[in-house]
Amino acid sequence: MRIIDLFSYAFSAIKLRKLRAGLTTLGVVIGIAAIVALLSITQGLQVAISAQLQRGFATDTLIVAAGGGLGGVNEFNLLVKDAQTIKEMDNVTASIAVIQRICYIRMPNGQTRRVTVTGVDFAAYREIYSSAFAAEEGEIPLNPEDNAIVIGKQVSDPWGNGTILCRTGDTLEILWTNTTARPLRNETYVGRVAAVLREIGGFTIGGPSDNRIYIPISKAQSFFGTETCEMIIVKLRNDDRATIDSATKAIREALGGRVSVTSSTAILNIISSVFSTVELFLAGIAAISLLVAGIGIMNIMIVSVMERTREIGILKALGMKNHQVLLIFLCEAAIIGLLGTLIGIGAGWSLAQIVLRIFGSSDRVGIIRQGNRAAVSNGITITPVLTPTVILGALVFGLTVTMVFALYPAWKASKLKPVDALRYE
Amino acid sequence: MAKTIIKTVDLRKTYMQGRIPVEALREVNLEVREGEFLSVLGPSGSGKSTLLNLIGALDKPTGGKLFIENIDVSALNDNQLADLRIKIGFVFQFFNLIPRFTARENVELPMSIAGLSKGERRKRAEELLQMVGLASRMNHKPTELSGGEQQRVAIARALANNPRFLLMDEPTGNIDSKNAYEIIRLVKRLNEDKGVTIIMVTHDQQLAAEAKRIVYMLDGMIVRETVS
Ligand SMILES: Nc1ncnc2c1ncn2[C@@H]1O[C@H](COP(=O)(O)OP(=O)(O)OP(=O)(O)O)[C@@H](O)[C@H]1O
Ligand SMILES: [Mg+2]
Repeated sequence: MRIIDLFSYAFSAIKLRKLRAGLTTLGVVIGIAAIVALLSITQGLQVAISAQLQRGFATDTLIVAAGGGLGGVNEFNLLVKDAQTIKEMDNVTASIAVIQRICYIRMPNGQTRRVTVTGVDFAAYREIYSSAFAAEEGEIPLNPEDNAIVIGKQVSDPWGNGTILCRTGDTLEILWTNTTARPLRNETYVGRVAAVLREIGGFTIGGPSDNRIYIPISKAQSFFGTETCEMIIVKLRNDDRATIDSATKAIREALGGRVSVTSSTAILNIISSVFSTVELFLAGIAAISLLVAGIGIMNIMIVSVMERTREIGILKALGMKNHQVLLIFLCEAAIIGLLGTLIGIGAGWSLAQIVLRIFGSSDRVGIIRQGNRAAVSNGITITPVLTPTVILGALVFGLTVTMVFALYPAWKASKLKPVDALRYE
Repeated sequence: MAKTIIKTVDLRKTYMQGRIPVEALREVNLEVREGEFLSVLGPSGSGKSTLLNLIGALDKPTGGKLFIENIDVSALNDNQLADLRIKIGFVFQFFNLIPRFTARENVELPMSIAGLSKGERRKRAEELLQMVGLASRMNHKPTELSGGEQQRVAIARALANNPRFLLMDEPTGNIDSKNAYEIIRLVKRLNEDKGVTIIMVTHDQQLAAEAKRIVYMLDGMIVRETVS
């Protein structure tokens, strides 16, 4: 018997029971759609977050912060001048201290807002985060005048809709309460906006962020009256594992083991491994629904073999071989499996789009955004990602599950004895 | 003398009904020559269908030997039996047409199994249906045909692959007597004009008498034979 005839025979049998075949197919569609939707959402999320990380993170940087060791009270202070010590180490190309304080700022229109004020060396910071610490408006001064400040995009345009509260050239007042002085002292720093950063996006450790104000490190030291800093960002010669490890060790030794040294690469790796785990877990749950569909297929096919026992007897009496009967039933399953998988991939992809459109558009905390992007979540744009691997994987998995569950009923059909099958009522 | 096409030697078939063996056939010896028209007559339960199923390679004997064109059928495996069945035409009491197929598609089915191309199948199916007098009903499904017409489709189907012989198990058992006579006329014509070898099982004396040779069965044995 020719393959094409086997196939069209199988097809004619499916056509006879359209509703049943449709419902069986639906089971596969749901299973595959769930897998595809979950995978393309999580992969989209991963792509979006890694893109953010790549901007806020430089892979060849280390973040040094006070503390570490085995918990307990931290009596160690990281000093601004420690940055200089670190800078002289092997493999280190730049090293900058970062001072951070939560302050209020008074806008030109008199409004006040709470922001984090960060003191950094503009030139070195720019060298490390060249794509993120970049001006959209004005210019980042490399040798800043006394009162030059750089502001994040969100400080300038808090609603993201073009209502600009302050721009280059404006004067801002930074209000800070010195809580170590008695009585408490309110200090005011008057800055002139030299540059507005271009939009960065949500997530960063150490790197620049949209909702901050940057002042030169020397000004931060004198204004906040401190010699200590919150962290030191270290740029290495390269992001090789060996370089990262030896620099980490050297820094910890130099500072008496009283600091934690975190590599951006390590954080990236942890995040991506967490993602893979979550992805695997979700896909596993979705796969269960496909298994349920597989059992449905098996059930339907067992019923179908019983119903068609006489027909199988006729086919055998006309000279059909066992393996051809097996192939006919497998063909029927394959048609349902292939159709279900293809529709499922399409449905899953659409589902991912819809889900991200609805749930992905949550706004930044406390700030109304009216972007016209596919999806915005805490400032991160997520679009579902459907890789060829996922498509191929879904096809293979969908067909395999269908065929595996069809195998037993098909085998049973093929083993029927012609006389018995013909006598079956 | 024409050559022997079917030969049984002490052919036995014992069914197990639970623990009780039922001897459906005991030591049947029968020889059929090419071009013969043979009818098998006997009361219900005498083993007529059992014998026909064995000759049609639909079932395996439990003892004795069966030769079809000098091939020992009892030694064949499932695949070889299937190949043999392609060359045997079987007509059933209950027609056994595929309900979702039209008359023509039903006649095409055995040729499709034999691996013929669509074009060849179609042409031959149309010729055969014409021969059994159903040229105008080729695209009807079995439910749209009378019992006599359905049986004629079944005969056309049985002839599709030019079988060595035709086996008919009570072909008129479900047809009124007028149509039954039509079927018998068709069968006789096939035998006389086309030289098709035919074995027909029946328990109708009158129909059996249409054949030249009648074999009488009782309790799983051939008890008598007449040749006219
Ligand atoms: N599958 C089976 N299992 C058990 N016993 C069987 C089976 N098939 C047939 N028999 C028994 O074998 C004997 C012969 O049956 P068979 O069908 O050959 O008779 P038959 O001559 O064709 O009768 P009928 O004229 O009623 O069709 C009967 O006693 C029947 O009950
Ligand atoms: Mg019978």
